[in-house]
Amino acid sequence: MSSTEKKPVIRYLYNFKFQDGTEKKFEVVLDESTLELVREDLNPKPEWTKLKYSQCENCPLPDSAEHCPVAVSLAGLVDAFSDAVSYEAAEVTVETSLRTYFKKTTLQKGLSGIIGIYMSTSNCPVMSKLRPMTRFHLPFANSLETFFRSISSYLTAQVLLMRQGQQPDWDLKGLQEIYKEVNIVNKGMADRLHQATQKDANINAVVILHSFGDGITYFIESGLTDLEPMFEVFLKKNGSSDSASSQKPS
Amino acid sequence: MNERILVVDDEESLRLSLKFKLKSAGFDVDTAVDGEEALEKLKAKPADVVLLDINMPRMSGIEALTIIRQTYPQTEAIMLTGFADFSTAIECLKIGAKDYLVKPVDTTELVTRLRSLVRSRSTELALQEVHQEYLGFLSEELMGPLKEIQTMLDQASKLAGDAEKERKKILKGAREIAAKLEEKLELVAEISRRATDVGTPGSEDISPTQLTEKLREIRKGSAH
Repeated sequence: MSSTEKKPVIRYLYNFKFQDGTEKKFEVVLDESTLELVREDLNPKPEWTKLKYSQCENCPLPDSAEHCPVAVSLAGLVDAFSDAVSYEAAEVTVETSLRTYFKKTTLQKGLSGIIGIYMSTSNCPVMSKLRPMTRFHLPFANSLETFFRSISSYLTAQVLLMRQGQQPDWDLKGLQEIYKEVNIVNKGMADRLHQATQKDANINAVVILHSFGDGITYFIESGLTDLEPMFEVFLKKNGSSDSASSQKPS
Repeated sequence: MNERILVVDDEESLRLSLKFKLKSAGFDVDTAVDGEEALEKLKAKPADVVLLDINMPRMSGIEALTIIRQTYPQTEAIMLTGFADFSTAIECLKIGAKDYLVKPVDTTELVTRLRSLVRSRSTELALQEVHQEYLGFLSEELMGPLKEIQTMLDQASKLAGDAEKERKKILKGAREIAAKLEEKLELVAEISRRATDVGTPGSEDISPTQLTEKLREIRKGSAH
């Protein structure tokens, strides 16, 4: 591809329509191959986006980085909803090149989807581990759907690692570690947003993401086996479900 | 029996993650999507503690808290909010919430706070029970026999000069009641001393629940 040629992109167009008839639109554009957020440089950047403003405990960025990449990515969205209430009813439409999603939901639920994309694609080294999931973004996903996408994405990475001759992690311990770190960033971002907003819509959207991070550890430890009946066709092939669960790929 | 926690939040992922965490910490957990459902669930089955989101549709957490404190005074409440606001926190505490936490909540810290709340709540309930039992003892076991002795002495003093045999019989009865009373008072004094000595070296610890049991035994006449 020549440098003059435009790179293929993935677009998510979020449209929030409120009961008073007002609408707010946000377009998220990602580089299709790297899944990196394509954004115009925001100027001037709000004070709360400075890296040192409320830096996450686990931030690996050097002091030379003036701004938090996640905060900069979120600034426009946060500003648009800074005085909005989390449970405000909204009709949210998400358009992609493949299909359109629509749901009558709460603002916080609609916002959590778009904030999730921004956070994982904005070049934060911690959040980038979730970037592959954005390729298969599912607006308005519930907890189970998000856990499933997350585990599927991580296991795909393990297969690719194995093919490269490296040691895969089938126990999902690494995924739990990722979410532990991710939740430190979610907490850090919620702390920043407390300074940047007047009401709770933005913060609660991050809180939803944080709760997925909290929940996945327990889901892996105890909820995953609840899915066994769905996978009966695979489990039967290897005998009883007990013997199947003990035959991990090595 | 495990302590029962009711998680009230309009967001499914939050209800689920708290349910996972609290269940794994050994609590019995139920959830409700808003204040109205919380009240319905409490009516069907009381909870020890309610975790109550403040900003919810239909009925706010503060409205629900007000009703819960009035209707279920033994149910404690911890408020959860996405947006920290000092005046709201004060309002919640004034209404009767025990704590006010800002989301995202550190679930490990939440479990610690819940355990401490449940512990102090059960101590409080046990002390209330001792208090009730003690009041029962005072009115039935102390005041009752004293009145009886008083009546007997009145009767004895009103007897004619030649009714010595009858007077002796009444006084004997009064002495017997007084002896039983003294015995019970000695037992109460003994357990009161033990309760006061709690924590001092060489003393035997006695919990509020054990105190209640001892008082009951004394009232039944089975304590030694």
